[in-house]
Amino acid sequence: MYILIVYDVGEKRVQKVLKFIRKHLIWIQNSVFEGNVTKAELLKIKNGLKEIVDQKEDSIIFFTARNERWIKKEIMGREKNATDNFI
Amino acid sequence: MKRNYYIFSNGRIKRKDNTICLENEKGKKYIPINDIEALYIFGEVDFNSKVLNFFGQNNITVHIFNYYGFYTSSIYPREHLLSGYSLVNQVKKYLDPVERIKLARETINTASYNILKNLKYYNPRRNEKLEDIILKIEKERKKIPYTNGIQDLMGTEGRIRDLYYSGFSIITMGKFKMKKRVKRPPDNPMNTLISFGNSLMYTTVLSEIYRTQLNPTISYLHEPGERRFSLSLDISEVFKPIITDRTIFKLINEGMIDQNHFTKELNFCHLNEKGRKVFMQQYEDKLNTVIKHKELERQVSYRRLIRLECYKLIKHINDIENYEGLKMWW
Repeated sequence: MYILIVYDVGEKRVQKVLKFIRKHLIWIQNSVFEGNVTKAELLKIKNGLKEIVDQKEDSIIFFTARNERWIKKEIMGREKNATDNFI
Repeated sequence: MKRNYYIFSNGRIKRKDNTICLENEKGKKYIPINDIEALYIFGEVDFNSKVLNFFGQNNITVHIFNYYGFYTSSIYPREHLLSGYSLVNQVKKYLDPVERIKLARETINTASYNILKNLKYYNPRRNEKLEDIILKIEKERKKIPYTNGIQDLMGTEGRIRDLYYSGFSIITMGKFKMKKRVKRPPDNPMNTLISFGNSLMYTTVLSEIYRTQLNPTISYLHEPGERRFSLSLDISEVFKPIITDRTIFKLINEGMIDQNHFTKELNFCHLNEKGRKVFMQQYEDKLNTVIKHKELERQVSYRRLIRLECYKLIKHINDIENYEGLKMWW
C-alpha cells in the first residue's frame, strides 16, 4: 500500500525520527515521507516510531491508500526530492 | 513492495544512518534500505566494504554494468536460503541424462510457445505477413520431443530463434532492420536492444533465483560452466519473449526509441544513457504489470511469475510435481 507520513515531534527527537523513517520511505519534504510498503512493513515502522517518540507531546500522521494510483500528487514550486527509482 | 533501483549518476555509495546514501556534487540522495530489491549500477560509483557488508546483511544483490551498458558482474550476498536436500536433487536431475533432457525440452517447448504467441499477436496486425514464419516455427516445434541429446535440442532452438528474429523487422514495420542476430558486439540498433534486454532479463531472473533454494549454477538446457549462473539463462529463455521482446516492440512501435538513443561513433552498437533510461523505464513497467493468475486466483506481477517459475522447478526437482513451463495464457 501507499503511505504518507507526516510528523511533528519535539526538537530533540526530530533527527531520530528522520533517520528511522529514512530506512523505509523516501523523504519528500521536511517532516514528510512517502512510499510503497507492505502491511507488515507499516507495522514495523509504527512499532519503531513508538519507541522513539513521546506520545504525550508528539504527533505523527499516517495517510494510507490501497494503491498509489488512488492519490493524485501535484507539486507546486520545486520538487525537493524525486521518488522514482532511476537515480 | 521492494523496488529495483537503477543508478545512472556517478558518485559514492555510503552506508549512512543504517541506510544507503548516494553522494555526489549534486548532493546527497538517500535510498531506503528496506525498499531495495536489487541495485543496478550503470554509473561510475565508488563503494567500500562497509557498504558491501550492509548489502549482504540485507540480502541485496548488486548488478554492475560497464560503461557501454553491458552486464559484467553481480555482487551476490551469502546464500541465505540453503537446502542441501534440494541441491542434491537438483544435481541428480542434471546427472541423469533422461531427466536432464526432459527439463531442457520443456524449457524450449515453453519458450517457443511464447515466441509463437508473440508472432500470433502481431500477425493479424501486420497483414498476415508473419504467417510463413509461424508455420515454419510450428514445424520445428514438433521436432522437440524427438530430439536426442542436448546438442540436437540446442540446434532446434537455434533454428526457432533465427526464424523468430527474422520476423522482427516485420513486427517493427521496417523501422529497425535486422538481418541476423549478432552478438559481442551487436552490429545494429536492433541487435543492441536485444542484447541489452537479455542481459537485464538475466539479472532479473538471477535476483529471483536468489530468493529461492535453487542453486543458480546448475542448469539443464545450458551447460553448467565455470563462473556463470547458467540456471538463470535457462529460466530467462521462458521469459525473454514475454518480457524483453514485448518491451522492445513497444519501444520501437510507439516511437519511444530512435537513432538518437544510440552511440553513432560505435556503429550503433551501444545505447547511450538516454536510451538506456527509456529502455529501463519500460522494462520496469513491464515487470510490474499485473495479470490475473488462473490457479492462484489473484493478481500477480510479471516479476512474481519468474519467482513462481522457480518454485515450480523446485517442485519438479524434489519430485513433488512435474514441471510445466509458463505458457502465456493471456
